[in-house]
Amino acid sequence: MKDKKTPRAAKKTDNTPARFKVGDRVRVKDLPNLFYSRTQIYARGVSGTIAARTYQDLIPEDEAFNRDGRLEQYYIVRFRQKDLWEEYPSEKDTLQTEFPDRWLEPV
Amino acid sequence: MQTAHKHAGDGHDHKAAPTVEEITDFEVLEIAVRELAIEHGLFTAEDHRRFTEWAESVGPGAGSRLVAKAWTDPGFRARLLEDGVKACQEIGIDWAEPTGFGTPSDYMNFRVLEDTPRLHHVIVCTLCSCYPRPVLGMSPEWYRSTNYRRRLVRWPREVLAEFGLILPPEVEIRVEDSNQKCRFMVLPVRPSGTDNWTEEELAAIVTRDCMIGVALPRRGRTADVHPVRKARRPVHSSPQHGKAAE
Repeated sequence: MKDKKTPRAAKKTDNTPARFKVGDRVRVKDLPNLFYSRTQIYARGVSGTIAARTYQDLIPEDEAFNRDGRLEQYYIVRFRQKDLWEEYPSEKDTLQTEFPDRWLEPV
Repeated sequence: MQTAHKHAGDGHDHKAAPTVEEITDFEVLEIAVRELAIEHGLFTAEDHRRFTEWAESVGPGAGSRLVAKAWTDPGFRARLLEDGVKACQEIGIDWAEPTGFGTPSDYMNFRVLEDTPRLHHVIVCTLCSCYPRPVLGMSPEWYRSTNYRRRLVRWPREVLAEFGLILPPEVEIRVEDSNQKCRFMVLPVRPSGTDNWTEEELAAIVTRDCMIGVALPRRGRTADVHPVRKARRPVHSSPQHGKAAE
């Protein structure tokens, strides 16, 4: 089987220091969708807090087309439900989801 | 698939009911790609059968054991929350199986979400169907449905109530939308009245739904049972069959 991809476990990591640390406030960018994205529309333009720094991997936009792009740092971001959905009834509830570096900007 | 056949003597023709009522475009695509791959020798039909059987044989048992062990062993609990993939090895679960770097969609990033009396987690994948398969097996059908996916992120309390889980307003609900390369599982709070239970007894009440976060473990609840109501107007009713039955 011809496999152009490196096994995930063996991937080299990028040495660029991570831009954000746990607790930092970030906003999800609202970039145009080119063919493929995993950045959900409901999170676009919404601010949240970095909950975890996870791993480095290809961005979905490259990987979907089997392109070996640059590895990027991924983060789990925590949002208040109230910030995502204006009519949300509880102040307390939260939602977390994950983004690669390029989709986030500091607030 | 639908071959008409005649019963000797009963005097009517009818079509044999197909075993699968509907096939989606994606299933047709999968079959086409799979047949092409076999034709081109990328893998054999036997490889495909073996892999499918392996994937389908994985159930939620490993997840239940992880939770029971975390409830009884504080050291293991800490290790599980620190590094899920590594802690899984202690109970014989290797996320790298079967290729050495996992399956094409079970990435080696596993995070366990710890519930407290004030915080309840529930997982979903709004993108499609991300699920911690090495520890929970194949996801239930409803987990992959667009109904669950689009509504859980927006109305989590209402959706949980439909599962029979009504949480008081002082409990924070945290939805984990798992749609990149991390896989998640919920570590529920150990129910009271289980103090002297063995790991095995505890594992029996940690069902799949408890680890997705749509149910809470409790004494005597050892299976995920959802009420099944018969459809009043099933889509595939056939007037011909209705008549024959009368």
